[in-house]
Amino acid sequence: MQALFERTVLLVTGKGGVGKSTVAAALARGARAEGKRVLLVEFESVSRVAPLFGRKEAPTEPVQLEPGLDLMGFDLLYSLHGFAGDQLKVKALARLALANRHVRGFFLAMPAIKSILFLYHLHRLEAVHGPRGDKRWDLIVCDMPTSGFVAGLYGVPTMVRQIFRVGPLATVANDMGALLFDPLRTGLVLVTLPEEMPVLETLELRNALRERHGIDTSAIVVNGVYPELLDHDELSALAGAVDGHAPLEQDDALSGVLWAADVLRGRADRAARLMPELREAVGGRLIELPHLFQRQIPLGGIDELAGRVRAATRERT
Amino acid sequence: MSKSVLSSANGLLAAVDSCDLLVAVGAGGVGKTTTSAALGLLGAMRGRRTLVLTIDPARRLLQALGLHDRTLPPNEPVEVLPRMSDALGVGHSPHQHAVLGSLDAMMLDPEIGAEQMVERLLPDPALREEVMGNRIYRALLPALGASPDLVALELLADLHRSKRYDLIVLDTPPTHNTADFLAAGQTFANFINEGVLKWFAKVPAPGENKKPSLWSRGSSAAMGVLGRLFGAEILPDIAQFFRSFRDVMPAMRARSEATDALLRSDVTRFVAVTAPGETSLREAEHMLALLQQEGLPFAGFVVNRVLQAPTVLADQQRVQQSAAALRARLISTGMAEVEAAHLSARLLEGASRLHHLDRADAAHIERLRRMGGSKRFLTVVPQFEHDIHTLGELRDLSTRLVDGAAEDLDRSARALA
Repeated sequence: MQALFERTVLLVTGKGGVGKSTVAAALARGARAEGKRVLLVEFESVSRVAPLFGRKEAPTEPVQLEPGLDLMGFDLLYSLHGFAGDQLKVKALARLALANRHVRGFFLAMPAIKSILFLYHLHRLEAVHGPRGDKRWDLIVCDMPTSGFVAGLYGVPTMVRQIFRVGPLATVANDMGALLFDPLRTGLVLVTLPEEMPVLETLELRNALRERHGIDTSAIVVNGVYPELLDHDELSALAGAVDGHAPLEQDDALSGVLWAADVLRGRADRAARLMPELREAVGGRLIELPHLFQRQIPLGGIDELAGRVRAATRERT
Repeated sequence: MSKSVLSSANGLLAAVDSCDLLVAVGAGGVGKTTTSAALGLLGAMRGRRTLVLTIDPARRLLQALGLHDRTLPPNEPVEVLPRMSDALGVGHSPHQHAVLGSLDAMMLDPEIGAEQMVERLLPDPALREEVMGNRIYRALLPALGASPDLVALELLADLHRSKRYDLIVLDTPPTHNTADFLAAGQTFANFINEGVLKWFAKVPAPGENKKPSLWSRGSSAAMGVLGRLFGAEILPDIAQFFRSFRDVMPAMRARSEATDALLRSDVTRFVAVTAPGETSLREAEHMLALLQQEGLPFAGFVVNRVLQAPTVLADQQRVQQSAAALRARLISTGMAEVEAAHLSARLLEGASRLHHLDRADAAHIERLRRMGGSKRFLTVVPQFEHDIHTLGELRDLSTRLVDGAAEDLDRSARALA
């Protein structure tokens, strides 16, 4: 099996709120720690990674966060200018054409335009060469929107080819398709929480992509797995000790502490119940990341997760 | 809708009782679909004929409503509860009105919806056939299907006009941000705008016998640019596509404007669904700014997935004492000292971790409260240990939404006193 970081592009997606950005950041930091030159691309306009590095937002042009790790944010209008500039060969002409509000409105309102321009931009980024003639990045990690968008993305090259059977866009669609559908170049990482609905939807998406587009999910990351605090025997030993012991039974502070143990036990149990199905679906390509008990993950936490990702990918090979 | 009703104490109940349309907005994964279903059920419990409209390929709402086994016709309302019955126990609900309401749900299939929309827009069969046969249209249809915003807004306006329902709860699509959703009607009108139509008017239709050089020489520079962007070969098809829509453009604009007016009107309220977490908070901030900027009426927050730890965990000293007492008790019942110490240390660790999460949640809720101000409701919903599967559970959630808003009112009243 192709190692996760040996591809050139990783698309990271999942249901909303599962921690896609955290996982994308952890993948980027993990790959960087393995000596890769990494570009992290954020799709959504509200950057989640930039604040970790003391920046307000992700710039439209790649910027170096630290040696070996660059960041950029996808911007529709910026990508449109890039596309028009490439096609028209003359940047000034592209600017002029897009200065017309009808032309601009037409493009920005085109169905699936975000997907088309994102793929276009991505295939350009993948081809960017560094000063020594080699590629500028070994790996591009993309923090994508939710699953539905990514599922639609795989239909884009075909759609563009159906519309533009010949001509410049047909060529572009072929290039985009070649990148997207080559499992050695592009990997798909699905992020989920150890909860029923996200797991169900993750498996549905994985199956749909395989059936509809022949895409094999590269990894499923289960984010926020609660650690094992106490096992069931220990919990019942505790309950037995408290039972019938009036001072302990009436102690609300103690019942608060036991409440916490119970909640954590319940969540660990839920994760354990859901894991076999995921493991059955992707086998060794399942990566478990621990819950960090923080509502906002600092850089240190990202690196802790990155370490887990690296360990999990090493185990596999 | 009378002002006095809206200014009544519980803002959430007031919105459910008196609005025609509630729009649930929020980032994905915060329980928007389930909250929409609970709001819809609440509407029915309050005696209103209610519809929940959701764009939902995973059919999550159905599961929440216990209807996932049924085969459902797309884009048609399906009866969830014909009339609120005692089977649900609402006869004992404190939120019940004399008149019993009903609840319908509707799953949106955007691709079918797009076809239906074109059919509605193009009543002339010949023209319709031309559009449906156009390869641009055929290729774009799945893309329209993947962006359900436009279709949802179209259906919404129709359903509202039909007066079939007292209350419609709209669950906005999970794949898009709110700004995109609200702009959808406008966006499509931009795509087929008069300016663009004008250039394409100069392009011959497919099969029309004009050599490309003739028209391209005579047309605007923009036309040449489009030819170079798309390839000259495709232009006639694009031109035909646009021409088919030319005559219906005014009707489309009118519809889009009507929907826009509905969203901004006094019968509509936006409910922001969110959850603790820095990202959710920032997104809520963006959303509020957007609603304000667009002049859209915001009613309040539903904060889901809140831990709600016992407050006593904040008292470090008492927590430590209790753990020590427990350790002593474990030893007295025969557990080895080391083992007992280890066990109580782990207990303390768990309590402290959840306490910290709880503190973070409380701080986030406080920020939301300040963001919303005193005129908006805010209701806190605890994190459930499993998903909602039954109507009974959904009803509990509906009740919880109301109680949460009431608790928040009490809290602000106390803060003022």
